[in-house]
Amino acid sequence: MVASEPKGHGQHAGMWVFPDASTTSRDLSEKTRSMPQRFTMALMVTGLLFIVGIVGFAARAADDGFDEIAPWGYYMAVFSFVFMISSGAPLVVVAFRFTKSHWRRPISRIGELFSIVCLLNLLMFIPLMFLLPDLANPDGAVEGQLELRRTIWFEGPIGAPHAWDLLGVAFLAITSLAILWTSAMPDMAESRGTATGFRGWVYKRLSSGWYGTPRQWDVQKAGLALLGAFYFMTLIFVHFEISSDYAQSLIPGWKDSIFPVIYSVTALQMSLGAILVVLFIMRRWGGYEGYAGKSVFWSASKVLLGVTLLWIYHMFAFFITFWYGRLEVEQNIIQYLITDTYGIVFLVNALFSFLAPFALLIWNPVRRSDWGPALAGVLVIIGGLAFCIRIFVGAANAAPGHEIYDLFFEHVPAPVYPDIWDVFMVVGGIGAAIFVYLVATKMLPLLSLWEIKEGTLYQKWGRFMKGEYLILGKPE
Amino acid sequence: MAKLPILGLFETADNAADAGDALKAAGVASTDYDFLTDAPYPEGAFGERHESHRLYIFPFVGALIGLTVGIMLTSMTQMAYPLVQGGKPILSLPPMAVVTYESTMLTAIAFTIIGIIFESRLPAFKQGLYDTRITEGYIGVLVNVDEDQLTQTQTLLTQAGAIDVVRKS
Repeated sequence: MVASEPKGHGQHAGMWVFPDASTTSRDLSEKTRSMPQRFTMALMVTGLLFIVGIVGFAARAADDGFDEIAPWGYYMAVFSFVFMISSGAPLVVVAFRFTKSHWRRPISRIGELFSIVCLLNLLMFIPLMFLLPDLANPDGAVEGQLELRRTIWFEGPIGAPHAWDLLGVAFLAITSLAILWTSAMPDMAESRGTATGFRGWVYKRLSSGWYGTPRQWDVQKAGLALLGAFYFMTLIFVHFEISSDYAQSLIPGWKDSIFPVIYSVTALQMSLGAILVVLFIMRRWGGYEGYAGKSVFWSASKVLLGVTLLWIYHMFAFFITFWYGRLEVEQNIIQYLITDTYGIVFLVNALFSFLAPFALLIWNPVRRSDWGPALAGVLVIIGGLAFCIRIFVGAANAAPGHEIYDLFFEHVPAPVYPDIWDVFMVVGGIGAAIFVYLVATKMLPLLSLWEIKEGTLYQKWGRFMKGEYLILGKPE
Repeated sequence: MAKLPILGLFETADNAADAGDALKAAGVASTDYDFLTDAPYPEGAFGERHESHRLYIFPFVGALIGLTVGIMLTSMTQMAYPLVQGGKPILSLPPMAVVTYESTMLTAIAFTIIGIIFESRLPAFKQGLYDTRITEGYIGVLVNVDEDQLTQTQTLLTQAGAIDVVRKS
């Protein structure tokens, strides 16, 4: 069932849609329940990849154990890849909700559903906690080495870094799930009487007591604002922890205040890209074209272009500081991560994270299409994967054994290519994330029902002078 | 006498607002009726009572507790094991800030979640009066009245334009 015909004329044709609020709940509930053949196939394929990933993980653990971090570089890379997308996606939603933009309504739930993938992040992080070398040098004070390796945990407080990192990742997952629950509660309440099986059981328990009174809407609005603000503050901090503990502090002498920012910017770029890819798939093959016009892509593509420019700005700032500094350790880090050892991966990273999406998104007709921003989304995701491989495989293999306590990064090691188990873990990790997301889409509607309906109160297609235009209302 | 719920269903927001006015004119206390919607309407759209919540207090209390715990944890650890690192003072703020920030955030978030549950009056294990037509855009006006006023309230809601009035069976 198509909720509405797309509106707009000239270059804005198909930009806006106006769903019928009276049929939205029934239609979206049916879509959530249905299991089209294509969806089932995707579920099976990603499920198989999930198993492949588990096999790769088990084989790596059997071969190398958990004593050294070096063999787990590709595992770190795929953890970071999934973590960056799934942790950034709720923030993208929170940010657009803060700005009270109407066009973001169709992407709210798409982003929030990544919270379920955060649970996978948490599971994947547990082995990493054991792999992180101790802060204190087991040999004590040795010439040419540090007694306590360089870290943000300057005086090594209780539990640092392992427990604090785990706590950070766990609370990020809890906060994003709380955002999802707060946002989805009205939608679950709508279906708690009709949903059956496990879905019905979950809806009844998680939306018990919600009736949509003015007080409940008021508290929900304030709750989403508060949780969103805290999510933002926690996310940036946890990105800082992960990029510092699992990248910078594993390469002796790497001190860089710009890198955590690059990490966060790359995460937000990939998250927005992933959201646009999901929206494109929903519109093209899922029957959601009546709920999301091209205006969503048009508006989001400008933000994506901005983040893409931010990425190259920070990357260049990182490079020029080290290049101009010319200290031996800085030269070695540039050679290791950018020009020599992982030079090819860096080129792929720069091509997909900046050059290709920039060349695509500068064109107005491309930004106004649905395929253009979605294609840019695919590109930045590939670029992000190259970023994670370059940084985390590089960091894990930069200073094997006790070299991690060295004062400086004195030698530029050779690249580490993936073996079969690494390939299994990378492919499996990505497959597992998609599998979990697909399962989540069958638990909750892919569109936020109440936000779509709220949108219909404030948007309509109406006549002004000789033409017809989008008319927007502002409740505040 | 125990109060019983009665739910009027309205097709338009204007009719629901009229019902609110009629209830007020009939002397029904503003705390005894509520508007049930499937989407948030602008504040005051139905002429409903203003109800303030105290959600903003919860994260402040949580943050204060987390901040205190963080400061105590870091300072007491440093004082218990006074090791000079890099020539910095035993109690130097930058390294303490990392742990303190994290503990502050974590407790603020936990208290916010508790606040949402408390201020939304959740969970309610006893199912209240509801009608699934509200999910199709109808607006429910839920009134709690004495048993002997049920018929009078039903008439009032119907006169205001209710397409259906539901009572608890």
